[in-house]
This record gives sequence, C-alpha cells and structure tokens, in this order.
Amino acid sequence: MEALDLARLQFAVTGSLHFLFVVLTLGLAPLVAIMNTRFARTGRPLHERMTRFWGQIYVVNYALGIVTGLVMEFQFGLSWSGLSHYAGDVFGAPLAMETLLAFFLESTFLGLWIFGWGRLPKWAHLASIWMVAATAYASAFFIMVANSFLQNPAGAVVAGDRLALVDAGALFTNDTLVFALPHVLGAGLFTGAMVLVGASAYQLRRRTGEREFFTSSMRTGIVAAAIGIALTVAFGYSQFGHIQEGKFDDNPAASVPLGLMMEGGNLLSLVVLLFMLPLVNNLPRWRWAHPLLMALTPLPFVLAILGWLARELGRQPWMIWEKLTVADAMTPGLTPGMVTASFTGFAVVLGLLAVVDYVLIARMVRRGPRDLALGATAPERPAPALSL
Amino acid sequence: MELIWFAVFAVLLAGYFALEGFDLGVGLLLPVLGRTRDDRDRMVAAIGPYVLANEVWLVALAGTLFGVYPLLEGELLPALYPLVVAMLLAWILRDAGLWFRRRAGGSRWRAFWDGTIVLGSLWLSFGWGLVMHAAATGFAGPLMHPLGLLMGAAVTLLFAWHGRVFLGWRLPGFAGPARTGRALAASAAVAALPALALAGGGMSVLIEHSAPAATLNVLSLMVLPFAPLMVGAQVWIWRTFRPGKDADRHPSFF
Repeated sequence: MEALDLARLQFAVTGSLHFLFVVLTLGLAPLVAIMNTRFARTGRPLHERMTRFWGQIYVVNYALGIVTGLVMEFQFGLSWSGLSHYAGDVFGAPLAMETLLAFFLESTFLGLWIFGWGRLPKWAHLASIWMVAATAYASAFFIMVANSFLQNPAGAVVAGDRLALVDAGALFTNDTLVFALPHVLGAGLFTGAMVLVGASAYQLRRRTGEREFFTSSMRTGIVAAAIGIALTVAFGYSQFGHIQEGKFDDNPAASVPLGLMMEGGNLLSLVVLLFMLPLVNNLPRWRWAHPLLMALTPLPFVLAILGWLARELGRQPWMIWEKLTVADAMTPGLTPGMVTASFTGFAVVLGLLAVVDYVLIARMVRRGPRDLALGATAPERPAPALSL
Repeated sequence: MELIWFAVFAVLLAGYFALEGFDLGVGLLLPVLGRTRDDRDRMVAAIGPYVLANEVWLVALAGTLFGVYPLLEGELLPALYPLVVAMLLAWILRDAGLWFRRRAGGSRWRAFWDGTIVLGSLWLSFGWGLVMHAAATGFAGPLMHPLGLLMGAAVTLLFAWHGRVFLGWRLPGFAGPARTGRALAASAAVAALPALALAGGGMSVLIEHSAPAATLNVLSLMVLPFAPLMVGAQVWIWRTFRPGKDADRHPSFF
C-alpha cells in the first residue's frame, strides 16, 4: 500500500477506536453525575452504590478514551503536517482549546473525583463530577468545531498559500457544527443509557439479588435512552439542509454507511420510544424481554461508527472541503515503512488494551455492585482473634 | 501576545517535567524500592491522585504547539516520527498499567501491569533525553546518537531522584528520609531545568513562528479567562491529597 492509504487507514482505525470509548464517556458522564446528585441529596445507600458502580464502569472506559486520544492528538502532526501548514492558523485553535481548556480541566477534576471519595466534602465532590461532565461536553464542542471546519471551512480566507482566520464567530457557529454537535451528544447519551439498560437486563435476568439496584438503573437508562435517541434522530435529519453539495452522490463508501445508520437509527428509535419507554415500569420485571435488551447494547456503538464513516468518507478526496486534498495534507517524505511500523504498533497495543478494557467492564457488570474499588474505604482492622 | 503564548508554552513544558517527572520517577523506582507487592501498591498509591492532573500538562502542551505554532508542529513531529511514536506507546503502556493493575485479582496480573509501568516510565524518560538532543542539533542529526543516549540516561536519573524525593514527602519513612514540601519544590525546580533549557533554546524560533495575531487573539480570549480555574483545580489537587494522618486511609484506585 502507498503511504497515503496507510496513513488514512491508521487515522481511521485509531479514530474509530477512540470514538467507541468517547461515545460511552459522553453518555455516562452526565448519567453518573445525576446519580451522584441523587446520592448527595438523599444520602441513600442505593444511590451511593449506583454512583460507584456505574462510575467505575465510566472511569475504566475513560482510561482507553485517554490513551487512544493521545494518539489522535499527535497524529495530526505526524501524518498530516500539510494540514497544519495550510490551515494550522485556523484548525489548530479549536484543537488547542480542547486540550488546554477542556481536557486539562476534565482530567484534573476526574482525578479529584476518583481519588476524592471520602476526602472531599460531599458537595465539592459532587461539583467535581459535574465539572468532568461539563468539560467532556466542551471537549466534544471543540473537536466538532475542528471537524466541521474540515467539512465547511467557514470563518477563513486564503491569504497567500495558507488559510487565515478572519471570523471566529463563523468558525464557532459553522452550519455543519450546530446540528451535528447535538446529534453527537444525543448519540452519546443514547449509547451510555443503552449500556445501563443492557447491563441491568443481564443482572435482572440472572436474578442476582440486586433487584432494586438494577430496576432503578434500567428505568434511568430507558428514560435517558429515549431522550438520547430523540435528540440524535431529530438533529440527524436537520443536518440535511446543511450538507456540502453532492457529498453523498456517487460515493457508495459514504452513502452505504449513511443509509445503514439511518435505517438502524429509525428502527431503534421506534423500539425505544414505542416499546421501551411506555413499558418502563414493566420491563425490569419481564425476564423474557431481557435477552432482547441485552442484544441491543452494541448497536449504538455500531451506528456511531457508521455515522463517522458517512461524514468522513463523504468528505473524500478533500481534507478541507474544496480547499485541500487529503493527498496534499499528508506529511511530505512519509514512507510506507514508517507508517506501517507506527500503525502496527498503535493497532496492536491499542487493540489489545481495548479488548482488555471491555473484558474488565464485562466482568464488572457480571460481578455487580459489590466490592467496588471506586470510593472504597479501608477495611476495618480485624479485631484481634481470641487465642488461647 | 507572542510573548504571553511563549510563556504559556514554557510553563506547560516546565510544569510537565516538574510534575510528571516524579510520576515517571516513581514508576522507574518500582523495581528498586518496591520489593514486595504491598510496597509497590503503596508507591503507586502515592502518585495515584496526581497522575491525571500531571500528564495532562503534556496534552495541553501539544495542543498549544498545534494552535500557536502550527508551522513548527508540522516540522517537528515528522522529524521525530519514530521517536514520537515510541514515546506515545510508552506513555500508553504506563497509563494502562496504572489503570489496570488493580482491576483484577491475581498477582501475575498485577506484576504484568507493574512491568508496563516500569517499562513505559523508563522508555518515556529516556525519550525526553533523545528529544533534547534532537532539539540541540536543530532536528537535523540522527535520532540515535551516543550523546542523545547519554542525555536520556541523565533525564532518567533526574526523574528517579525527583520521584524519590516525592516519596519521601508523601510517604515519610517508606524509603529513605522524610522530605519537606520545600525539598519537593526544590527537586521539582531541578527537574524542570531541562524543560526550561529546551524552551529557552527555542525561544526565538518559537516566537518568530507564532500564529498570526488574529488566531492568538481568539485563543487568548477563549483560554486566558479560564486560567484561574485551571490553576485553582491544580492547587485543589495538592491541597486535597497532601500527606497527613488519613493519607493512607482509603485504598487507592490505581
């Protein structure tokens, strides 16, 4: 393969892997923050255990989001220096804000939340998870600003042989941003909510004795899934007024994923809004329905990747729509050997870590909310045994 | 404006060395000071609450490089391609070790992830020495050079020493003498010296290649108002997790 194909494949594979974890982070962050709020208000052990159990799944998922994200950040410079050369004065700004502002705060507050159990005052601890959720959304905003600029280079003009930023307002209110951002955030909420539903269905079907816990979790999941899918579908269709001319014409690589995502999304929205939501109080008790709910869990992930394939493959051959081609954006002098070596390293290491991460999450779901590491307090010192 | 953003860049780089330096140092010392599993648990638990807040300085630095110095970013990273890839993999393995080591039972599981922490920390510290050498030669020479390897060894030793001082502060009596906060601040300042040398050496090139004023103004308008919040969050970490009578009360998540 040519270096260009390899570099594209490397970006597509690591980017898709990154988003599998990000989409769940975006959904679970607000849900865990809501659970933590319930706990802070009521002080009920049920709410504490829900926060810790779903919070632990959230942070273990987050670990892979971080490490795959590192590769994404540096890849722009490694493989696509033509992009920073031509458009860095515009495209670099939202990426800088994402790392410097959003992720810096997100990571710092996440450290406070994970390690601050039992150390921070209750309300300060609660504030830190809300800061994590807010900065996760801010991250999504800045990344979508950068991506939307590639779809529709608003706010910039060609000056000499480079793009210059002339209208920051236009950059941040890009037509291809304002409907796509709620679409992505809705998809995240839907994905996180369906993980709550699927994991709860597994536990309820097995009658593990955590009935109250998973009944409550499933209800929260179903309501959040309904909100998430409604947002996703509504802001999915509303994007059609703002798509680049001819993006999906004669481009099966983009139009097929688009069609699959739309069919799948429509079908899931019917299932969630007409079946799951009206039966929100019955489903936790209906064991026959639980295998179906479990089978639905992976679908939001698949649809999310299809959505990205449609958006990004539809952009080809442009890196920046009608301004810079992907071929021209590639780092000059990149050899197939260099990209093969880095791609192999990233794919093997991140692929294995992703598998390990999902196995760990599956184990946590199977164990249920006992012996949780997140927020654990030291075991009581055993009383000295009576010895004769 | 160019000066302000150069200062931000330099502070992020120095902050990364001063803060992440002791995380990497403790990682390096795991096989030296952590003879038993319990010792290694205590060492990792000592850095645990800080790692997320420390490593993010480099993420922010790379973002600043892209936003403020896009032309240099497109030159430097490809020039260091194999080194950057290797350092990213090292960083990933170190992080994975921290996140995963306590997520399952067996002692072989934990030993394996402790191994990735050690290897990742070593590889990453060493890599910084090679980066410094490459910078000193204007990114023109070969990446592997005896002098670069020597600088890698120097950075590794520096971080290990910084990590030891950190342990003396956070876990007094664990290994070696107890250290005061002032001693830790001093070792952090020394650990930041290579970073300051890097930033200082590149100062004129960096400032010369700053993004145009329109870009810097937008960045300043969006980022600088949040600087107090960012500093505050970092300070809050240090206030919350300072050593004290209950520092060991909670089992660590890492």
